[in-house]
Amino acid sequence: MTEGTVSHAVCLGCGCACDDIEVTVRNGRITGAINACPIGVEWYGDGTVPGKIMVRGAQATMEKATRAVAELLRAGPALIYLAPDVTTETQRAAIELADRCGARLDSVTSDTAAPGILVGQRRGRATATLGEIRNRADLLVFWAVDPATRYPRLLARYAVDPSGTQVPKGASDRRVVAVDVGGATGPRTASTRIALSNANEAAALGVMRAAVLGRELPGLSSELQAAVDLARQMTKARYVALIHDSELEGQGGDSQRLEGLVGLAQTLNGPTRCALSSLRAGGNRSGADAAMVWQTGFPFAVDFAAGAPRYRPEQPASRAIDGVGGALIVGAAHRAPEVVTRALSGKRIAVIGPRATQVADAEVAVDTGIAGIHDAGIGYRMDDVPLPLPSILAGPASAADVIRTVATAVATGAKS
Amino acid sequence: MPTGGRLRIVGGAVHDPANNIDGEIRDVCIEDGRIVASLPGGAPTLNANGMIVMPGGVDIHAHFASSSCNHARRLLPEEHTADPVPAPKLLDGAGRSGTGGTVPTTFSTAYRYAGLGYTTAFDAAVAPIMARHTHAELDDTPILDAGCFVLLGNDEYLHRQISRGERERAAHYVAWMLAATGAYAVKIVNPGGIEAWKSGQRNLTDIDQALAGTNVTPRAILETLTNAANGLRLPHPVHIHCNNLGQAGNSATTIATMEALTGRRAHFTHLQFHCYGGEAGKGWSSAAKSVIEHVNAHPEHTVDVGQVMFGPATTLTADGPVEYLLYSTSGRKWVNIDVELETGCGIVPYSYKEKAAVATLQWAVGLELFLLARDPWRVVLSTDHPNGGSFLSYPALIQLLMTRGARDEQLQRANPKLLAGSALTDGLDREYTLNEIAIVTRAGPARILGLRQKGHLGVGADADITIYGRDTDIAKMFSSPRFVLKAGQLVVEEGQLRRAPQGRRLHVRPPYDESILRDVRKHFDDYGTVAFDNYAVRDVPGTPAALQS
Repeated sequence: MTEGTVSHAVCLGCGCACDDIEVTVRNGRITGAINACPIGVEWYGDGTVPGKIMVRGAQATMEKATRAVAELLRAGPALIYLAPDVTTETQRAAIELADRCGARLDSVTSDTAAPGILVGQRRGRATATLGEIRNRADLLVFWAVDPATRYPRLLARYAVDPSGTQVPKGASDRRVVAVDVGGATGPRTASTRIALSNANEAAALGVMRAAVLGRELPGLSSELQAAVDLARQMTKARYVALIHDSELEGQGGDSQRLEGLVGLAQTLNGPTRCALSSLRAGGNRSGADAAMVWQTGFPFAVDFAAGAPRYRPEQPASRAIDGVGGALIVGAAHRAPEVVTRALSGKRIAVIGPRATQVADAEVAVDTGIAGIHDAGIGYRMDDVPLPLPSILAGPASAADVIRTVATAVATGAKS
Repeated sequence: MPTGGRLRIVGGAVHDPANNIDGEIRDVCIEDGRIVASLPGGAPTLNANGMIVMPGGVDIHAHFASSSCNHARRLLPEEHTADPVPAPKLLDGAGRSGTGGTVPTTFSTAYRYAGLGYTTAFDAAVAPIMARHTHAELDDTPILDAGCFVLLGNDEYLHRQISRGERERAAHYVAWMLAATGAYAVKIVNPGGIEAWKSGQRNLTDIDQALAGTNVTPRAILETLTNAANGLRLPHPVHIHCNNLGQAGNSATTIATMEALTGRRAHFTHLQFHCYGGEAGKGWSSAAKSVIEHVNAHPEHTVDVGQVMFGPATTLTADGPVEYLLYSTSGRKWVNIDVELETGCGIVPYSYKEKAAVATLQWAVGLELFLLARDPWRVVLSTDHPNGGSFLSYPALIQLLMTRGARDEQLQRANPKLLAGSALTDGLDREYTLNEIAIVTRAGPARILGLRQKGHLGVGADADITIYGRDTDIAKMFSSPRFVLKAGQLVVEEGQLRRAPQGRRLHVRPPYDESILRDVRKHFDDYGTVAFDNYAVRDVPGTPAALQS
């Protein structure tokens, strides 16, 4: 499209995946994104992306580039890394490529949300789609997270303000509690807040669970007593939403917190109902997890070297680089965690994704469109609800098509 | 692959019960993916001398391609680590690796189904809002012709229509929903009970118990959706998972549900889980006989059994309250996902142990249903994969049905504590014949699903064919067919998977009154989090199936 408006576009700026964005286009550029939050506005930008193909610093044809990527993958143990901003169709094609090459496969998840997923694999989890929270939750407990900065529309769109089937008056039918842990604070607008020191957080979650189970807990410190009082309020609510940020890069690996939250939410389903809502960032990260699970059985950190998927959660992309000769990044490399880009520096790198040619030191770079702006397909909301991503602007090559071309080059053994 | 899409299968003993062929040695001719009456003399042949020829298997009820399945897969890294599945050596080199366990990955699921001689399967529980995910998984599930059933028994918009007395209008909503989700049939799980679980009422235990503050009862939901499915002339009637699954004494609910729908076409699924006598907290017994006698007397009703097999399973259902109960009594890991405005999801990995009294009772109840059923055309073989066990256990189940000795042997190893009154211990001599097996695994389910071109080998049928090498070890014979053809293509040759073509998507698109959409759109605007315009799955592949005439 060069002129016009697209209604109900899906924004992948964060994991909320708001699908009420009205995008206006003038002269082939995005000039407005009504309803988008600041993160969304930045994510859409003006919709322009480079459309170049580079091999070893020189402009190249698609054929030469895809052959060069195939060579890199064939040269030895390689990592295929799913970065943000690609459709699930692209993710599926990249997983297939990793399977065929016997490569290591990973995604942004391994260095962000992995600890919560691992806890979930040990214990399970009690959760809900965001619409259930919208329609039912009468008590929202924000655990060390204020969505205002990283998920700006969460409160307005899902979690506090909107009316719902069981909360017809919206915000006035709900109570909002902030649990501030160390310097990580909950929403400023919370009607109640309790403060926990980092050192006491795990103990607090333990006594809260005990309180939900009806145990007597004498002699607690005031801090822990406040946590117990909150737990008792939670048991009296009709539907509790316990909300935390599952992927604070570099801080999200607190498995004691995650164990405690998962256990507390499960236990609350005895006396009442509770859903643990784990916030995820943008770029269709949940889609990468979903497609990896259905094709390999594992949500991240997969090794195909033995001819079938093996789970290597102890070796995320940021630490698994030793022994890997090269890496193919599929997606927006500039939106990958810094720990990963640091770990990859000095390796042979190919990038197929939005703004690939802006990645320094990439041996091969193929610019593609951005999922939901140029590339149509499926994108997943943070709660695993799949949404249709539109193509708003004509863009460079579709990432999925480029990956398939690489797969053909790998299969035929074509050389650059 | 034979040239010109032609192949003559010669010398096999053909079991094609839909065409009254019971082990007759005869040729089966294939052209362009279909069965034809004859072929020119020089057509390529496949020698099936000494072998058994049947239509491809049809799984009427399994869980293998849904958001819930994927949550189960995610929960089971230990199973997947223990069962890596290398890529099969396909002729085109396009095989994919994966992992197995009770909930295998998509490609492995397809390869394993085909390896058993199954060529058609339905995922039995798809939340409408997750239908897009199911179709993406099915895109990665080759070989099988496949479709899904869409969960509507706890849909809040439907409940609103029922409470307003607008049941006629509800049928149009059902038709729209089937089209929007690319589904094949309507599924009801624990009617009203999931909504009760989500709203704090915990569950509904009687079909006349209303959801709190409403006049919506399981009976009203059942009647509305049954009438809608039949009124829309869907090829498959409403597919019902009754209230009180797994509870002692639940046979009363099951029979009450069947009675509520007397005279109306309906399918009751995984019946084994709904045939218990006794009383909650006071013991269990088998009530299989009373339930199957009711089914025997009602030709308008069909069932699949949902047999429990000893060994690992993963319980995986929209029936959230049941899974909570299993979690709280077993202490195993547990997933619960409340799905907005529509349904729920619960998952608990499980294991049926022969030394456990309740598991043995469940095993026995399933077999009683099979053995006491008078009309095999209305009783389908299923394990409710992966709930009662993996579909990979179908051959072992077939052996139990065909061999009393195998049943007795298993009984001796099992815990008999709750088997008093079970017809199985009274000596059920019946042994299924090969033709009866062909009925309960392909001809019957195809007929119940309204798949006119499947489940038989008459002229015009899809050339989905399974050829077994004869073996006295029944389980071995059914677990590794010599040849499997899908739409005329040899996918399994000499027991090896050689091709994995894309299967067809099975779905329906009944007409509806578009004027209802204004109100549906308002419901989305008022309570949904996905825009109405983004809800429907676009571009479901394939032509919609014909409605009943």
